[in-house]
Amino acid sequence: MAANFWESTQRRHWQFSKDELAQMRENLEESEQSLVQMFPLPQRRHLNIYFNQLTGVSELGRLGKRLGVRQQALATAQTYLKRFYCTVEIRRTNPYLVIATALYLALDSLTLDISRLGECEFYMISEMHSQLIVHQPYRTLTSLQSDLFLSQDEANLALSIVNDHYMTDLPLLYPPHIIALTAILLALVLRPNSPGGTATNLAAATAALVQAQSQVPARTGGSSQHTTGVSDKERQQEARLNKVQRYAGFLTESNVDIEGMVDCTQELISFYECHEQYNDKITREQINRFVKARGLDKP
Amino acid sequence: MDLDTHDRGAKGGYQSKVKVMDKYRVVGFISSGTYGRVYKAHGRQGQPGDFAIKKFKPDKEGEQIQYTGISQSAIREMALCSELRHDNVIRLIEIILEDKCIFMVFEYAEHDLLQIIHHHTQQPRHNIPPSTVKSIMFQLLNGCQYLHTNWVLHRDLKPANIMVTSSGQVKIGDLGLARLFHKPLHSLFSGDKVVVTIWYRAPELLLGSRHYTPAIDLWAVGCIFAELLSLRPIFKGEEAKMDKKTVPFQRNQMQKIVEIMGLPTKERWPFLTSMPEYSNLSTLTPPILHPGHHHHPHHPHHPHHKSSSAAASTSQLEKWYYGYINAHASTSSPASNGSLTSLGAEGYRLLAGLLEYDPEKRLTAAQALHHPFFGGSGSASGMGMGNASSTERISGNCFEGLKTAYPTRRVSQDDNDIRTSSLPGTKRSGLPDDSLRPVKRVKEA
Repeated sequence: MAANFWESTQRRHWQFSKDELAQMRENLEESEQSLVQMFPLPQRRHLNIYFNQLTGVSELGRLGKRLGVRQQALATAQTYLKRFYCTVEIRRTNPYLVIATALYLALDSLTLDISRLGECEFYMISEMHSQLIVHQPYRTLTSLQSDLFLSQDEANLALSIVNDHYMTDLPLLYPPHIIALTAILLALVLRPNSPGGTATNLAAATAALVQAQSQVPARTGGSSQHTTGVSDKERQQEARLNKVQRYAGFLTESNVDIEGMVDCTQELISFYECHEQYNDKITREQINRFVKARGLDKP
Repeated sequence: MDLDTHDRGAKGGYQSKVKVMDKYRVVGFISSGTYGRVYKAHGRQGQPGDFAIKKFKPDKEGEQIQYTGISQSAIREMALCSELRHDNVIRLIEIILEDKCIFMVFEYAEHDLLQIIHHHTQQPRHNIPPSTVKSIMFQLLNGCQYLHTNWVLHRDLKPANIMVTSSGQVKIGDLGLARLFHKPLHSLFSGDKVVVTIWYRAPELLLGSRHYTPAIDLWAVGCIFAELLSLRPIFKGEEAKMDKKTVPFQRNQMQKIVEIMGLPTKERWPFLTSMPEYSNLSTLTPPILHPGHHHHPHHPHHPHHKSSSAAASTSQLEKWYYGYINAHASTSSPASNGSLTSLGAEGYRLLAGLLEYDPEKRLTAAQALHHPFFGGSGSASGMGMGNASSTERISGNCFEGLKTAYPTRRVSQDDNDIRTSSLPGTKRSGLPDDSLRPVKRVKEA
């Protein structure tokens, strides 16, 4: 239910361990070995980036953006897509039809020409056992924004991280509040131009989490000594550190799954790295190849 | 059809993994409505118990059924029912999507409140035993509280939608109009403009409120409570039909409420004056006080006078209540397990708390469960819900202690073929007076 994630079908049926998820996917590929060999596909995260562009979350968005679709509905559609491809081998489907159907299903009010989509809708709902209610991190994010005194920039960054996590397996691995908390953490520590890049960012995030986990009260490294001659930049830096430490304290008190957050952090940072290798052309071509070759685009 | 097709949803068409006829044997037809039809079924694979299978009718009917996309309300009902798990909410077993049709399989309940109330109106008319009333109300409120704490509004509570199993468990059914009310993607007002069968429709909806809250369900629960006592709908208005897409003011229904509850005032209901239909209130006939009579032919329009306005807003509910719980005392036969008199003053207070004009002052489901009417503990010993600190026990079996059994649901044999079923033209087969009930949704009428 909307209020009770712990009793929800999402919690009971659509959250997996990494091993379970890997096993399910392996089974799917084994059931269609020849297809898998004949039609190689880019890594899953790259497929997700491609699908994400189609659904319109990104700036390049097409279908979704044109429709003025709201963020939560898009996130729901992406979740449907993920659930569906947990139980159905992608090469057996026309992903474009499946994406359109997921959007249609998530959107309540979208009207399109229906006949083929209507059939795919039956397929999709059936595979998902009519479990269509999706819990998302957005609510936690919104409610914590004021509690944690996040600036608008930080909140926006956290929001875009939440949007990005739909391109990873995280929605199938962790409850939404863990995602939201991780996104806030990353929004507080990520600095696009920090020397050392992702490694530094990852280190900063992990340090904060280790601190939260070990429940050691935070200490800013001798900052109190700098009473004079502090530059604005240093002052900002210090304010930010304080914020991160306050947040670590908050996590400690809230008794959340810190290990889960560590894992989410790693997944997200590794996703951003892998995003850099994404090749739109290759991804599109490889998908179109099996769709065309198998006549999946024909009614 | 080619059952070996592997590329389902791609080539060769979608085929359901589960076939409704392989798994269930339909034994009869229960009812039909705008949504489709409901059948009674037994399991073919050793599943215990009986089942009610709700088949949604395809949007367009004809020789060749096409996929047309599943309606918003069906999707909503499917998604919500998949999440809900509570003793007092009808349980969904599974949903089968097969051959362009949707089959929702529910646990079967032998009775519903409409049928139980109807049974008591049969000669000799006799009241529903107070212990049964109490148990039904407690279980109904319990289910309601569960829905509301999970941000679900039922929006169409009425006796026909409240199921009762043969072991006396009350189950809220038919979530066809239910919605989540926590930050919905679309305003709750958009989409379906008119909800709740008119006799159970809350005054704020009648006055044009667009703000849907759980309180609308509690008003309906109040109406059902009254109906369990009097065996007839307390506010039995006539529905004004939709006129060219504009929703008319339901004058007749509001008049029925005013006759018993008095005219609402802004003193008791501060937001009253900001209701869209507020101006229409002045066109209603204020109730005329006739001691001992609540039903009387009302006179044509009465001009308001300052002196009469206090009387006009006086509630007749207490008089109504005692009229019923005492009137039946003499007629109740020994077999009817006691007079309603025992429900006493707390029964009136609970009723008045549920039929409160101001939705913000109206009892919530949780408050009602803690009402002294139930012993004040908010827990029922028979239901395994907390300890029994109440002085009196409320059973989780509303039939407990009854000497007679209610007749079981009538199931017709005319149409047992779930696969072919033609247009749903037939009404519910069970009760003769059901045809008098207003249709479920105005916009579809």
